[in-house]
Formats: sequence, structure tokens, C-alpha cells
Amino acid sequence: MKTNNKKPFLNMDERNKQIAYKVISIMYFLTIIAIQGIVIYRQFALGQEIGDFEDIAIIMTINSLFLVSALLYFGAIQVRRLKIKSIILIYAVFVVLGTLFTYAKYNIFQSPGLSFEQLFDKIIIVITIIGLIMGFWILLSFLGKKRLEKELE
Amino acid sequence: MQYIYCDMEYLYYLYCMENMKLKLARVEKGLSQQDLADLVGATRQTIGLIEKGKYNPSLNLCVKIAKVLNRTLNDLFWYENK
Repeated sequence: MKTNNKKPFLNMDERNKQIAYKVISIMYFLTIIAIQGIVIYRQFALGQEIGDFEDIAIIMTINSLFLVSALLYFGAIQVRRLKIKSIILIYAVFVVLGTLFTYAKYNIFQSPGLSFEQLFDKIIIVITIIGLIMGFWILLSFLGKKRLEKELE
Repeated sequence: MQYIYCDMEYLYYLYCMENMKLKLARVEKGLSQQDLADLVGATRQTIGLIEKGKYNPSLNLCVKIAKVLNRTLNDLFWYENK
């Protein structure tokens, strides 16, 4: 009997692949959460400097950035229309969270804490980095939308 | 006290839930689950689960199965939901 089975990688069919994707996604999510937990534990509970776990922090940052970027570009996160109001709102939420995090890091978990000027300098960096990240994500979601529209033509 | 529930609609529902149409078409064609799986590029377990109604195949796989069994998609996968 002639068969169409081309014996793909690991001989997986669509159901096997679906299950594999699901398991991989869950394990990836758990790994990221665990690593993030380690970073927070080291930073706040053990009071280690970022330099002590810079490698993990860099991997986490790049990973999270690329994850959201890829989700936006490939259309997993549906962005119907980019409204200025909602962009500003999301940006403001991120800035508030970043500011709270920075404040907690330097003035609650460290003593003596930073002066207002020093804290302000740190917050300026937070605002700038969040702005750059948001800009990058907006660009990617715009490019992803363009790509999808091109495919539909 | 246990009631025996015998409703034609319910029986039809069960008939469709366990994809008997697919199973019958496959048996009529003289194919085993493994044969059908090989012909459509799937595994025997996947075919078994489709027949049991426990896996929703993609449209691509449905079309492949329908072509191999010389049936239409309606013949194999459509059922009236009253």
C-alpha cells in the first residue's frame, strides 16, 4: 500500500505537534517564572548586586523582550488599531510600575536609600528605556500588521 | 431508581460524537487505523482519537482523510445539531 507518510522529524503528526507545543509553552512559562523568581530572590532576599547575576538578568531581559516582540510581529497578540490614548495609558502604567520597582529597590531594600536627585536620575533612565521598548513594540506590531496585510493581498 | 434514557436525538449525538461515520467508511474501504494513518501521514493514535471524537483534526487532515476514503467532508464530519 502506497503511503503519504513522509516520516517527518520524530515522526510527529499534527496532534503530536499540538501536544508538544502545549507542553513546551507551559514548561517555558514555568522556567521563565522560576528564573524571574530567582532574580528577585537574589536581588531582594539575598541583597546581591546585579553584577552577581548579570548573565541571568540579561538572558531574562532579552528573552522577555523577544517573546513579546515575536508575539506582536507574528500576530499572536491582536492589535486592532494603535490608539494614542491606549499607548499613553500602557506607557504610564509601565512607568509607574518601573518607578515603584526602582523606589523599592533603592529606598526600601537598601539602606541608606538614594537621595531624591539620585532617585530622579534612575527614574529618568527607567522612563527612557520603557519608551524605547514601547517604541520597538509599536514598530513591530505595525510591521507585523503590514506583513499580514501583504499576505492577504 | 434508574431511568433508561433512550432518545433518538441523544443516540444520534453519541453516533456523531464517536465519529462512527469515519469508522464505518474506513472499515468499508477495508483499511485498518494504521493503514489510514499511513495514507494520510498521521499516527494510528490520532486516527483512533478522531474516531472516538476526542481529537478535532485540522481541516487539512479532514480533507486528506476524505480523499483517501473517497468521501466528502460532509459524509464524514458533518452532523446536524438539533
